This record gives sequence, C-alpha cells and structure tokens, in this order.
Amino acid sequence: MSVDIYKINPEFRDIMPKDIIDLEDNATWHATATKNRGISDLPDKKEILEEHSLCAGCPEAAALRYILTALPIPEDTIIVNSTGCTSLMFPHIALHTVHSLFGNQNAVASGIKRTLDWRFPDKTKDVIVLAGDGATIDIGLDYTLQSWFRQEKITTICFDNEVYANTGGQESGSTPKGQVFKMAPKGKVFDKVPMWELAVTSGCQYSVKLTASAPKKVAKVLREAVLVARELGPTYIHLYTPCILEIGLAANEGLWEMKEQDKERFESFRYVSPEAEEYLKECKAKGIL
Amino acid sequence: MYYVAKVDSSKCSEYKCNMCTLYCPEANTLMYDEENKTSWVDEDRCKGCAICVYVCSDLLDRNCIEMAMVSTED
Repeated sequence: MSVDIYKINPEFRDIMPKDIIDLEDNATWHATATKNRGISDLPDKKEILEEHSLCAGCPEAAALRYILTALPIPEDTIIVNSTGCTSLMFPHIALHTVHSLFGNQNAVASGIKRTLDWRFPDKTKDVIVLAGDGATIDIGLDYTLQSWFRQEKITTICFDNEVYANTGGQESGSTPKGQVFKMAPKGKVFDKVPMWELAVTSGCQYSVKLTASAPKKVAKVLREAVLVARELGPTYIHLYTPCILEIGLAANEGLWEMKEQDKERFESFRYVSPEAEEYLKECKAKGIL
Repeated sequence: MYYVAKVDSSKCSEYKCNMCTLYCPEANTLMYDEENKTSWVDEDRCKGCAICVYVCSDLLDRNCIEMAMVSTED
C-alpha cells in the first residue's frame, strides 16, 4: 500500500528500477485495517531505508531499521538528525529528514513541531530527534535539556555507541569510566553520564534505556515514546548501538556485545510518568499501540 | 572476491523461523520468501558481516546459513 508522499510519474514508470517501483507498491508505509505496521513487515516488505553506507555488521544500522519500521505514521513524521555515523544513513531514507548543525537537533525539532502544529492544526505530525551520544550528551546537551524543560512534544532518541566513532575514536560524555580508545589513550577519567536519569529529572514523560538486541522491544518502546510525545510531552530513548570497529570486535559480534551489555551497563531502565501510563493504557484499549 | 551469506533453503524451510531477517543490519538484503518458506539473500547488497550466521548457528543452532566466497565474474 502506498501513500501520496511517494508517487512515480506515470510517464516514467516503465523505465524505473524495480527498487523504486517497490517503494510505491510494496513498502511498509502505513497500517492496514487489521494490523499496525511493525517489525513483522521487515522480512518481506520493501523498507524505507536503502543501501546505507555504514560498516558491515553495524548495530546502529539494525537499530535504525527497527525504528523506521515501527514509526506509527511515517508519511507524517519528520526526523531531525545531527552529525555522526547516523547522518550517513539519512540520505538513504525515503522520509522527510532534516540535518542541521552539530548539537542543535532538539532546538530545530522544537521549531518544526511548533510550526507544524500551527500550520496543520487538524493533522497529527510526529517529530523525532535521532542523534548520536556526542550530539545528545556532549555538544547538544544544552539544547536537549532545554527542550525537555520547555515540555516540547518531541521524541528524542540517542544512539549511544559510547565514542566519537567516525572521527577516529575520541571519548564522549557517554564513554564508561576507564575505557581506552585510539584517540583517548589514557582512559576515560569520569563516569558515564546517566542521560536517561537526566531525562526524568528534566521533565520527560517517558525515558527508557535499552540495547538494540531485541528488535520487537525496540519497536514497542519507539511506538510508546512517539504516542506519549504526541499527547503529553517530551520522551527519551537511550539505545545502545556499540561501535564494533572502535571497541575491537569483528563484524558478526555486535549482537553478542549488545546481549552482554543487556546484563551490565545497559540493564533495562524504564520510567513512565503516571499520566503517560494512563494514556498508554488508553492507547492499548483502542488498539493503536 | 568477497564474502556473502548463502542460505540453504531446503534446511531453512523446515524451520520457517524468520529470525535472521530481523537481525541483518542491511535493509532489503536478507529477505523471506513467503511462497517457498525460506530466507534468501540479495547477494549484491550483502556486506558479509555474518550476523545472520551468528543468529542461525550460534543462537538457534539451526545451521542453515553459511558464508561463501563469490567473485564478480559469477
């Protein structure tokens, strides 16, 4: 099933590659009458992500697949991105995305959300921020926290790989204490910043920390976060997507690493405000969750 | 010459578990054929990370996928 966001000019249809035609005919655009879109579409539907340039076996790429496939209304979603490995994937997504300066992603998203609410008061529009740990926790910490203080109705997702990966491996605020990288030879002196806890203190209605080792769980968390952000206020997802290159693992070991960290640094953390809890119950009863 | 994943479809269709397709980091690469009940690999897109082999062999002990060397002439 397709939506109007993506239509091929009929004149050119016969010369279009199959990949493009599939994007119109068989992509995972939106929910059908019987089923919400979700992880179960991945095996046999065309995805809205295509041929990205991340490393072989990068857990971040897998996580992005889960997130894109779980968006409740992709055609009415705008994703705001920041500099980092994630920004390499964004030119390959068939959705509206915005790439602004390093760190100011939550400020840009706040503006977009307010403008959309004013321009399309009758329509539901979701604004999602997706950035790495450098953009969220170091460079953009100010903008991120301020957007939460202001109770902006946006979902913030942090892909935490605990390092500045695509500039050679410098430590970030999210790097655990003692970790040594190529460009941080002495080891990190301070503790990892507990961003998921800061989110709760700063007014997020929903804050979850998890790894991308369980696709269905990531999809469920994303859907809940987007729904809560739509009605109540800011939501935060802290997702561990290790950089296998910088921590010295082979291409096939990313999933193993995430499963290991499920028990340690990324032991599940979940905060849902009482109002959000109530609202999610309502969503479940209506069948939109 | 590069590595790609190859699915043994006769073995795979016995299980129909679909797990490997979820864990592949590449989009539209490891897909599931509803008709023949087996996973299949778009070899032009496979980057050869072997996460599917880890899922199929190490986690599920089903051994339906293995890595194979292909050359551009194939």
